[in-house]
Amino acid sequence: MKNFSYVRAASVKEAVQQSGANQAALFIAGGTNLVDRMKVFLDEPSHLIDITRLQMQRIEPTTDGGLRIGALVSNTAVADHPDVRRNYPLLSRAILSGASQQIRNVATVGGNILQRTRCPYYYDTAFACNKRKPGTGCPATTGINRMHALLGASDQCVAVHPSDMCVAIAALDAIVEVEGPRGRRQIPFTDFHRLPGDTPERDTNLEPGELITAVVIPPLPFAKSGVYLKLRDRASYAFALVSVAAALKLEGDRIQAARLALGGVAHKPWRPTEAERFLIGKPANTATFQQSAEIALQGAQPLAYNGFKVELAKRAIQRSLTISANGGGVA
Amino acid sequence: MSNVIGTSVSRTEGRAKVTGSATYSAEHQISGLVHGYLITASVANGQIRAIDTREAEKAPGVIAVFTHKNAPKVFMPKNDFMNSKIYEARLPLSDNQVHYAGQIIGLVVADTFERARHGAHLVKVEYDTQTPLIDAKKVTFKEAPPQFGEEFAFAKGNIAAGLANAAIKIEATYTSSTELHAPIEPHAIIAHWQGADALTVYEHTQWVAGAQRTYAELFALPAEKVRIVAPYIGGAFGCKAVPWPHAILCAAVARQVKRPLKVVLSRRQMTANAGHRSETEQMLRLAATKDGMLTAIAHEVKSYTSPVDVFIEPCTGITPVMYTVPNLQLKQELAVMNIGTPTFMRAPGENPGLWALESAMDELAWALKMDPVELRLKNETREHQRKGLPFSAKHFADCLNVGAERFGWNDRPMQVRSLTRDGKRVGWGMAAATFPGLRGRASVKVRLLPDGTAHVLTAANDMGTGAYTVVAVTAAEVLGIPVEKIRVEMGDSRLPDGGLAGGSQMTASLAPAVTAACQEVLKTANCTTASEACAALRQSGRGAIEATASSAPGAEMKKWAFQSWGAHFAEVTVDEEIGRLRVTRWVSVMNIGQVINAKAAASQVRGAVIMGIGQALMEEAHLDPNTGYPVVYDLATYHFPAHADTPRIDVAFVGKPDLNFNPIGARGVGEIGITGVSAAIANAVYHATGKRLRSLPLTPDKLIG
Ligand SMILES: Cc1cc2nc3c(=O)[nH]c(=O)nc-3n(C[C@H](O)[C@H](O)[C@H](O)COP(=O)(O)OP(=O)(O)OC[C@H]3O[C@@H](n4cnc5c(N)ncnc54)[C@H](O)[C@@H]3O)c2cc1C
Ligand code: SF4
Repeated sequence: MKNFSYVRAASVKEAVQQSGANQAALFIAGGTNLVDRMKVFLDEPSHLIDITRLQMQRIEPTTDGGLRIGALVSNTAVADHPDVRRNYPLLSRAILSGASQQIRNVATVGGNILQRTRCPYYYDTAFACNKRKPGTGCPATTGINRMHALLGASDQCVAVHPSDMCVAIAALDAIVEVEGPRGRRQIPFTDFHRLPGDTPERDTNLEPGELITAVVIPPLPFAKSGVYLKLRDRASYAFALVSVAAALKLEGDRIQAARLALGGVAHKPWRPTEAERFLIGKPANTATFQQSAEIALQGAQPLAYNGFKVELAKRAIQRSLTISANGGGVA
Repeated sequence: MSNVIGTSVSRTEGRAKVTGSATYSAEHQISGLVHGYLITASVANGQIRAIDTREAEKAPGVIAVFTHKNAPKVFMPKNDFMNSKIYEARLPLSDNQVHYAGQIIGLVVADTFERARHGAHLVKVEYDTQTPLIDAKKVTFKEAPPQFGEEFAFAKGNIAAGLANAAIKIEATYTSSTELHAPIEPHAIIAHWQGADALTVYEHTQWVAGAQRTYAELFALPAEKVRIVAPYIGGAFGCKAVPWPHAILCAAVARQVKRPLKVVLSRRQMTANAGHRSETEQMLRLAATKDGMLTAIAHEVKSYTSPVDVFIEPCTGITPVMYTVPNLQLKQELAVMNIGTPTFMRAPGENPGLWALESAMDELAWALKMDPVELRLKNETREHQRKGLPFSAKHFADCLNVGAERFGWNDRPMQVRSLTRDGKRVGWGMAAATFPGLRGRASVKVRLLPDGTAHVLTAANDMGTGAYTVVAVTAAEVLGIPVEKIRVEMGDSRLPDGGLAGGSQMTASLAPAVTAACQEVLKTANCTTASEACAALRQSGRGAIEATASSAPGAEMKKWAFQSWGAHFAEVTVDEEIGRLRVTRWVSVMNIGQVINAKAAASQVRGAVIMGIGQALMEEAHLDPNTGYPVVYDLATYHFPAHADTPRIDVAFVGKPDLNFNPIGARGVGEIGITGVSAAIANAVYHATGKRLRSLPLTPDKLIG
């Protein structure tokens, strides 16, 4: 680890100022991702701005019946919050399917959104990696890419975003509130993360120095039927091979509204909007769900080791939609 | 006799462990200690053309940097496994050659761990590289040489005839993946020199006296000038038996820098430098008569080793042991790859061997439309078909029958895809378990004190298996005093040589020696009980009565074959649509001779079953196909079971003390529990789904296919 200076910011303003003034500064929240990265020289900040004392620790109802979740609320506190459990069970379950209890206790909402890929090549400086060092190459394209992307990748990078929470947040059409050197702004969650394209080093559209202050979840009554299904190599404490967040609104057996998001398949939490649109007005049955899954995976570009994820993702979509159509519950 | 042997006794060192006062290798506090961090190769096959350490040397806190250009002197030990043994026959930093990715190519010494790590990161290396051999399909196999004095190839009867005349034949190939031991305690060592010719090594070792002799030979010292301190080991499973290159390097560098030096491996470094179980490919051909009598078994195995040492995963060891067969043929082949050196891992050979054999037996049972339990009972052998010796105290049939009873096996429909629950397929499978009864020489000192307590001292050790408690229980039994009054000291080479904790032999070796030493104490005191002896001590005013005794295997080895037996019964559920496999119920019945501590023995079996579930469902250490560099780097990328993967595991023991084996009749239990587990699971998956999976691990991709 390179030597770094450390300061505990007293206010959002101060944190933003500090980071604006120093290009090589990073915010640190729970530290569960950043410290690991620093230990293996993926990040070598010269300055750390500890944001854990800032006033971004609350979950409050919004006037329209949604929730505003402060960026520093712990993953555990979000998952356990009664309003989250009642109104957005898929968010609660997505969080609880990730990491371990100990990690969730210190991990924050902002940190979770900004955690970086678990691509094993990214994680070791013995390898080249376009994300870590632009222009050096992407060994994953010809390497062990079992966990890698099916959709929206580029020849520069085939990494996936590892978060579970973000998949649920994407399905819920949340808004990210940020504050930066040039003031405050709101970013729709689906525009927050980026596809790799020619700039795989950039995970998100956050500008240098910008701080996430909160995530706003709009009201969505049918989210009560929401489902989060995570498929992985062990029953707990493993990143997703594929995951699905889904929620359906039915009128009789007709689908009135649908939300679908996929994890483990792309550089960002993936919203297959065409597959969602397809569902509207259709009867809630296996054939519909199957077709929707086909649409969602159209254009998938499997690599040498991850071809099975195409079928796995389709089946996960079908299963999640089926459970949601039956009122939701544990998948 | 106090009748404590065979009861359930909680670990005597349990409190120390859960409160953190048990001192593991990296935790010894030594003043003036400095830290080393390894520099490792990023290519798998090549030569170091240039290595630039200047920046590292200038970095704050860095004391010295060692590479092949200034490698400290060490001597090649005899490395014969009698006197001494190192895991890798190439001494660290001996030249500029790189044989596998992750190989140690240097060490940075600094005043703190973080500064040493930073220094290592600043070293710049240039390589000349050659294409590494890492693709199992492209390597050249040769007949495996003998291992530890034993040939692999074996033939009995006429295999061609046996196969040709059979009514039913099974021919199948089974593969298992590269597995890591992944003990919870990473590899760590502190080397502390007292001057240039006396060394204290704080290092988890499964073989205290062996380590002492090995370090002595490495530095051309008399053995008594080396002291090994290893009171606790946080799991070993075979990867902490003898020194690895990092440990040799640490001791050599410590001498050079004249400071106590600590080296701890990162999980990443452990993937290349602390052993693994080689992947295997096994071809089995079984032939049987219509009524299920085996007429032929041919077992051919391929495994892999590193360019710098030979370790053969000895899968064919179990084949002559399990089932009577007139025509038997065994063959093992080995190929060199640019990978780290493989080594013993819990039930080396027996475990992957039974994965293949017990899967094939299941396939045969289905082909015969015969209950797999019945097939095994029918073909049980009374003798070791390679040694030609009868088995002593064998109760394999009881394992099968009692296990079937506890599991409710007889309710199993003899039809695949016949059970469902909550929309999932349910399957039941079983497999046999086996492991040889091994025993070595061990010495123990016992000291009885006037206050009614006793000390038991031996340079054996406790890998986390419960050896402290086994020793205490045995002493308590013989002396007739409570377990709490026995203080056991282990893991220090100043104590009498307690032998090797490997091959599940620690209990079988130690318990007789403890018994003999306790009896010797009573004899010296001229008393029949310890309380009499203590009373006599108090009267005489003497400080203690002491005796040392040894025990070792003898002529019985020529008369009998000693082997432990078991049977596993498993229930799985398979959610076929989404490829989700769960192990939901488990029964293991083991025949290990005398059980000394029922609680610890059962937890050894449970731990081993969990490790077997890992092998069956998820463990796989991938190497990058281009560079050969491991792409698993920690406990989040190398999966083994979490609690959610683990069902309740019912463990029972059957049989009688094996008094031909040793005076206590105990055969040891450390490894047998893992053997057969993966086959039982794959067999259950077949029953559930009709899908025969022959390639481990059984990950979701294989289940949805
Ligand atoms: C072993 C392990 C297993 C895991 N398994 C899973 C899993 O299965 N599923 C899953 O979803 N996650 C998993 N995680 C990841 C975990 O969810 C993240 O590490 C955690 O959410 C990060 O939160 P943090 O507060 O600790 O972030 P930090 O490590 O503090 O920060 C992460 C990044 O975000 C930046 N940052 C933090 N807060 C802000 C802010 N408010 N504004 C701007 N920038 C900010 C930091 O600069 C840093 O770059 C796992 C982690 C580990 C270590
Ligand atoms: S997939 Fe992306 S993160 Fe992984 S090696 Fe390639 S560029 Fe780096």
